[in-house]
Amino acid sequence: MVHNRVEFKNKRVIITGGTKGLGKAIALAFARKGAWVAINYSSNDEIALTTKAELGSLATKSLLLKADVSIVADVEKMISSVLDQWQYVDILVNNAGIIRDKLLMFLNEEDWDRVLEVNLKGTYLCSRAIIKTMIARRFGRIINVTSPSALTGRAGQTNYSASKGGIISFTKSLSKEMAKLEITVNAVCPGIISTPMIENLDQATKSDLLKMIPMGRFGDPEEVARAVLFLASEESGYITGQVLAADGGLT
Amino acid sequence: MDEIINNSEALCEFLKKMIIDTLKLEGITVKGIDSTAPLFRKGLGLDSIDALELVVAIEKIFNIIIEDEEVGKRAFASINALATFIQNKYKKGSSPCDG
Repeated sequence: MVHNRVEFKNKRVIITGGTKGLGKAIALAFARKGAWVAINYSSNDEIALTTKAELGSLATKSLLLKADVSIVADVEKMISSVLDQWQYVDILVNNAGIIRDKLLMFLNEEDWDRVLEVNLKGTYLCSRAIIKTMIARRFGRIINVTSPSALTGRAGQTNYSASKGGIISFTKSLSKEMAKLEITVNAVCPGIISTPMIENLDQATKSDLLKMIPMGRFGDPEEVARAVLFLASEESGYITGQVLAADGGLT
Repeated sequence: MDEIINNSEALCEFLKKMIIDTLKLEGITVKGIDSTAPLFRKGLGLDSIDALELVVAIEKIFNIIIEDEEVGKRAFASINALATFIQNKYKKGSSPCDG
């Protein structure tokens, strides 16, 4: 695949949870390829403004959108605001997600609900809010971020893995609904990626994690972003309803 | 747009053209669509995904939002039903769009 500045020229992208971690890497990657990039966040204004400044220097056009993806009014307001300014959106990356790891016996209802609301309901709400503009143009790319936890399970993550497994099923069903309209819906499954959260773990834990990865190293956020960009590109137009893992062989 | 909406015959013709254009139906003409025949399955043979495109087109052209699947089913029963639906909704204060 040829990567150049024009690959996503003037393509309009929304990335939920796009101000830090993986979402930020995805946002910057789109910006480097010429896209207009809107990033969403829910709470940390300081980080959001820093990322927006970084994005602003790379992207043709960029927007910063504060919204809780689990609240319908927030989502609809956010999407309307993007459509008012940019008329339409080509690509939606449902990346916003949270974890609240606890073993089931100690997993209270609030931790269950919140994870399902943000991860799964958020994916549904954002997709629903954007779908009309994609239908009207008979073009669209929806990319949902899932997790190895959804494919293989992980102790302490019944809530998280259920939400991410739900995202895979959601992806497959929506892909069937949208296929005729040339709107593709896929999922990306990042493995264990070097983020501050992983880097700050103690050496023993890191070494245990590394043993699980056939490639013997953590992933770079950029390596996941490239998978997202591939699924968002024109070249991937015949691929829909799939889960693409960028995980060094983990799953 | 007002003139078309208030004239049932013109509206039916407009809707037939809208359906042909929106769904890029090949080999079907405005004259070839029976205003009383069902649009889906047996009649014109449209499916529920075609309906999504029509919902979006109607929102864009008439500024009428079909939010509910049941409402959509009734509205899309036939061209005549769709015309009546649009006339009723329009009268109830939906502001028409310029296009």
